[in-house]
Amino acid sequence: MVGIVLVSHSFELAHGLAALASQVAGSEVRVEPAGGGPDGTLGTTGDVVWNAISRAECGQGVVVLADLGSSVLTVRHLLEEGRSNGHVRLVDAPFVEGAIAAAVMSSAGQDLDEVARAAEDARGASKF
Amino acid sequence: MLAVQASFNPENSASSRGPLSEITVALPAAVALHARPAANFVKTAIRFRSRVTVGVNGKIADAKSILAVLALGATGGTVLKLNAEGEDASAALDALAACVSGLVE
Repeated sequence: MVGIVLVSHSFELAHGLAALASQVAGSEVRVEPAGGGPDGTLGTTGDVVWNAISRAECGQGVVVLADLGSSVLTVRHLLEEGRSNGHVRLVDAPFVEGAIAAAVMSSAGQDLDEVARAAEDARGASKF
Repeated sequence: MLAVQASFNPENSASSRGPLSEITVALPAAVALHARPAANFVKTAIRFRSRVTVGVNGKIADAKSILAVLALGATGGTVLKLNAEGEDASAALDALAACVSGLVE
C-alpha cells in the first residue's frame, strides 16, 4: 500500500490527524505523523519528517501532505537533497480532507498516482 | 430490516457504457454512513469498474469518493439509492447491497 505522511507544525495536529485517518481507513495503511519542532515547540524538523517517510514506505511509494508554509519548504528541501528515491510525492491538498481521502484510497489498494489524485481532488469537496 | 429492490432497464443495456442498474438499500438502524462504515462502502465500490453513485434524500455522491460519501450525512436506517453504470454494474450493486446490510459501527 501507498504510505501517507502528515507534516504539521504541531505534534498534536499531526498525531491527531494520523489517528483519525487510521480509524477511518483501517490500521493496515501506514499513516505516519511528523509534527513539531525540537523540544515540543511548534515547527517542522527535517529528520522527523524523513523518519516518518522511511516508516511509511513499504515499496509502493509515499504521499506527503503538509499543513502550511514552512512545512512545505521542509519537505521540498528533503526531496531536493535527493534523499527520496522518486516514489515520494508532496501533494498540494487540504490537510484533513486530503489525508482522509488518501488513506482510504491507499487502503483500497490504489497506486501512488490514484492516491495523490484523491488527496488533491479533496480541495473541491464540500463538507455537507 | 434490509430492504432491497432491484430494477434493470433494458433500454440502457445497449449503450456503449454498459448496463445501468439501480437498487435501494437501507442502512442498518444503528449504523451511520460515517468514518469506518463509509470507508468500507467506498472500498467496495472501488473494486468495480462501473460508475457508481449513492443518493440520499435527493443528494447524489460518487460512491468511490470517501469525502463525497461522508458529506451525505446518512444516518442509521437511511435508505440509499445506489446506481451503477458499466459492464460490472450488476455485480457492483450486489456487492454494495451486501456491504451496506453488513455494516457495523
